[in-house]
Amino acid sequence: MTAKVLGGLPRLPVILLCLAALAGLGAEQKRPASRKPSPPFQLPAAVQQEPATEPMPVAPLGRGTRPAIEEAAAAIDALLAARHREQGLIPSAALDDAQFVRRAYLDLGGRIPTHDEAAAFLAENDPGKRGALIDRLLESPDYVSRFYNVWADTLRLTERPQKNLWCEPYLDWVKRSIAANRPYDQWVYEMLTANGKTWENPAVGYQLRDQGMPLPFVDNTVRVFLGTQIGCAQCHDHPFDSWTQQQFYELAAFTSGTRSGLGGKPGKPARDMGRRGEPADAAQKNIQGLLRETRSRAEATERKKVDNQFLQFLQANGTRVSFRERPLQLPHDSQDSAATSDDPVAPQVLWGEVPTEARALDQRAQFAAWLTSGDNRQFARTIANRMWKLLMGVGIVEPIDDFRPGNPPSDPELMEHLTDLVLRLDFDLRAFVRVIASTATWQRRAVPHDPTSGLPFAFTSPALRRMSAEQLWDSILTLVAHDPWAYQRPTAEEFAAGVDLNLSAGKVSWEDAHETYERFQKTLAPQRTRRLMLRRYGYMGQVLARASELPTPLPLGHFLRQFGQGDRETIDGGRTVATIPQILAMFNGPITHSMLQRGSMIQDEIAAHDPGRAIDIIFLSVLTHSPDAEDRMLAMEEMTAAGDTITGCNNVIWALLNTREFIFIQ
Amino acid sequence: MPRARAESDVWNEAEKVSYRDSRLARRGAMAGIASAFLGVTAVDAFRADSSRGLADGPSPSTGTNIITLFMRGAMSHLDTFDPKPGREEQGETGVIQTKTPGVVFGESLPKLAGMSDRLAVIRAVTTQTGAHEQGQYLMRTGYQPINSIRHPAFGACALHCLGRRPGNLPGYVLVGNGNDHPGCGFLDPSLSPVPVADPQVGLENTVRPAYLTEQNFARRLALADRIDRDFKATYGGGQIEAYNQMYAEAVRLLGSDDLEAFDISRETEAVRDRYGRSQLGRGCLLARRLVESGVRVVEVDFNGWDMHRELFEELPTKAAILDKALGTLLDDLDDRGLLQSTLVVLATEFGRTPKINENGGRDHHPAVFSCLLAGSGVRGGVVHGASDERGHSPDSGVVSIADFNATVAAAAGLPSDKEFHAPNGRPFKIGGGGTAIREVLA
Repeated sequence: MTAKVLGGLPRLPVILLCLAALAGLGAEQKRPASRKPSPPFQLPAAVQQEPATEPMPVAPLGRGTRPAIEEAAAAIDALLAARHREQGLIPSAALDDAQFVRRAYLDLGGRIPTHDEAAAFLAENDPGKRGALIDRLLESPDYVSRFYNVWADTLRLTERPQKNLWCEPYLDWVKRSIAANRPYDQWVYEMLTANGKTWENPAVGYQLRDQGMPLPFVDNTVRVFLGTQIGCAQCHDHPFDSWTQQQFYELAAFTSGTRSGLGGKPGKPARDMGRRGEPADAAQKNIQGLLRETRSRAEATERKKVDNQFLQFLQANGTRVSFRERPLQLPHDSQDSAATSDDPVAPQVLWGEVPTEARALDQRAQFAAWLTSGDNRQFARTIANRMWKLLMGVGIVEPIDDFRPGNPPSDPELMEHLTDLVLRLDFDLRAFVRVIASTATWQRRAVPHDPTSGLPFAFTSPALRRMSAEQLWDSILTLVAHDPWAYQRPTAEEFAAGVDLNLSAGKVSWEDAHETYERFQKTLAPQRTRRLMLRRYGYMGQVLARASELPTPLPLGHFLRQFGQGDRETIDGGRTVATIPQILAMFNGPITHSMLQRGSMIQDEIAAHDPGRAIDIIFLSVLTHSPDAEDRMLAMEEMTAAGDTITGCNNVIWALLNTREFIFIQ
Repeated sequence: MPRARAESDVWNEAEKVSYRDSRLARRGAMAGIASAFLGVTAVDAFRADSSRGLADGPSPSTGTNIITLFMRGAMSHLDTFDPKPGREEQGETGVIQTKTPGVVFGESLPKLAGMSDRLAVIRAVTTQTGAHEQGQYLMRTGYQPINSIRHPAFGACALHCLGRRPGNLPGYVLVGNGNDHPGCGFLDPSLSPVPVADPQVGLENTVRPAYLTEQNFARRLALADRIDRDFKATYGGGQIEAYNQMYAEAVRLLGSDDLEAFDISRETEAVRDRYGRSQLGRGCLLARRLVESGVRVVEVDFNGWDMHRELFEELPTKAAILDKALGTLLDDLDDRGLLQSTLVVLATEFGRTPKINENGGRDHHPAVFSCLLAGSGVRGGVVHGASDERGHSPDSGVVSIADFNATVAAAAGLPSDKEFHAPNGRPFKIGGGGTAIREVLA
């Protein structure tokens, strides 16, 4: 647990000031006696304090490189301008500063700007202020949070892919890799080849996500990183594509020797030990002994009940990814006539060849080297398309995981230009995002696009998009919390310290193991963490923390899931479809009401200014622009009709949250 | 994260009393709100708008209801409705004799085995799609996913043709995960399913916070609408219009007298036990309540069938949940006289390999698998088609996904032969242009 979570007394002076200000405002406006009192809920004190420190370190950006970035951005604009001239298309208007600051915060930081952030940007006179804001955002924790959410959806991040696979450290590692701006090719290579326990080498979490499912693992890996669907060939030759079952198995043969130490389900003897596991080493024998002892101890008790969570804890300590080559055979019921023999399938890549320098490495490393190689253009192309879609709303190839001859890019020249750019930037994804955000194209007003129209999108500007579930949640949090980062998930190190039995240092006794387990249950166990989160950061059963810090996957009924957050089973499973429960949540749910509570960011902002400015504060806070004359008149009318300032302000805030303008990125 | 029901329940509990007392008054008031907010008369806002041109259906107050149970993740056919006793491929799953001579089910399905005279088992469904998302899309729409069109889910087509029943409840409810559901496709957004995440919780946030008066709520809605005018004018249509409609539908729903239909806690403990205290059991109970209250189509999503590992440890539990939930649903519908007007469908995206893999699981197998029909329009006691001796390929009576969907359409009285056109001009048939299997139709 971070020091921030457990430590730190409430900063009383700030709180008292806020309460005093609000109390003063409330006293002026006498409440009608008939009005029901507000629900007896309060915002958690932990999010009402001003943040004490930066939530996390983020790798600094080379400011000196801005001219080169601008140049690369101009090249994209020039390419597109030529295309639009050919097609006779006239791009939409450039964003004004207010629209720009909102989009920049949403797309690069995953949330709307606060009142003060927006006001400060609008007041600045520096002609280079847009580039400066882009750069500032790209080295902020908000950027890390936003891109973590994106990768969480793509990589199907979850704390427990299976009950006995504990991957919390992997989630933290993904976040930190983004904060450190690890080059994308190295990052992926590490995920594909990592060995060890999740808390020794958290990158193993990628391989554990599909543990025990070698064929889906290869299918998913190729979809995510090479934008290619070979999964259908798992069962038979693909009817519409060029991939054969033979090719699928040849590719899967590279990684089929990946193993993860102890297998089997809690409470059952490990199914695969001895048969396909490595010969058990001392540590594994230790774990097996502890598992046996737990069961026999339970047998000796009256209830004979085994503590399954303890078994999982032991198995988590026994899980260790490693690789040893192992032959793979085609299934006997293969539809491929050439595959009737029992001969193992020889590993073979889908196209190109394994880089020379990797040929002496083991098969898994050869696969990773081939996949992430700069010579494998499809790897660069896929990420270029993925990042382009993230910022522009539409991919040049759609769906982004279905590159094939029958589904060509809508603009092949642009696709190759961006692929070259990724390669030229040495897979520096943040720099790539920086270039796209610096284009005039990205800085134009969005246009509506129906992806199912069958019409290609011309990229005169980004497509109109609904905020992602995470953007919406984090934007609302921005209006509620003074410190949206009050809660952060435990780091890999914190988790390791709480869970590791340190088997390598010598044999661990059952008593010692159980003591570590009991300590873990009281500190880092999910049930415990969640109770603590609710107590300290909860508002009406909702934990007020950034989406990136919440457990994953969230239950279906959570606000984020209602608004389409992915289920962590489907690659890129996030959706933005309208449903009735979303609207009911906006109408009556706790989240929209949290900002109507005393001590929320927006209430304090209103209270800190002249009451006559309340309408301006609300509009800038929620919609990031000033009200026009008609908006102002409507809001004034509402204030009058409501009878008191607080009710009036709350009604206006609520109304703005329930506009399409709020949830769409224009 | 735990739902922390305790806390939010306190809030809702306090409201429930006044909510129940003022239910009748609320409806009139909501009509007024709709009028103020939508700028239309209450009559317009609340009129069932079901005739947008796909087909002329029967009057909304008659016609079939449809309950679909979707076994997401691909349910193994060998261990449920198409076992191969005595074969190596059968693994550890035993069989049980059904009421139909010569037909056996997996041993975890005793209740369904005992009512096989009411089931139509379709044993040679086949597809070429061995990927979950594509397979689910195909089963739900009858069409392969392609880039240039979003096909409507079968339920949206059915609602479109059959019309919404009178009242303010939605026409189509989806219990479970709705993220990847094709929904209304290119049809009107008002035909989208209303997702209910957790049947135990029902539809949340239908009660206004205590402090918020009806007048304030109406003013808020009207204000939002007016402030949003420029944005809507600039970006009208498409997704924005879908949201406009969802706001209108949400207001309409809040005016419903029948919101209790979403609350399964109003059933007795005995009834809830009969359905089973599982996601599917609760989902089936909710489906029955909804259909009884006038919801036309309910789909219950039941995840967790993707058993690549340890199948013989996981499947018995899963299948027993299905047996209890579906068996009770059919009995309960029958007891209430609803089975003759309700079509019940059990579907999944594909089957699982006869060969048991090294992790004790079965992998994806699109070549052959089983689905079930029961209730309205269905002839019970029929087994249509057969897989070969290993359960690997169809042997006889092969049924494509489109054929299966056309059969469901025929049982529900929908025009599956008629050609329509999507907005982009593509031809479209309900169910995907297959041929209905007459043998399983009543």
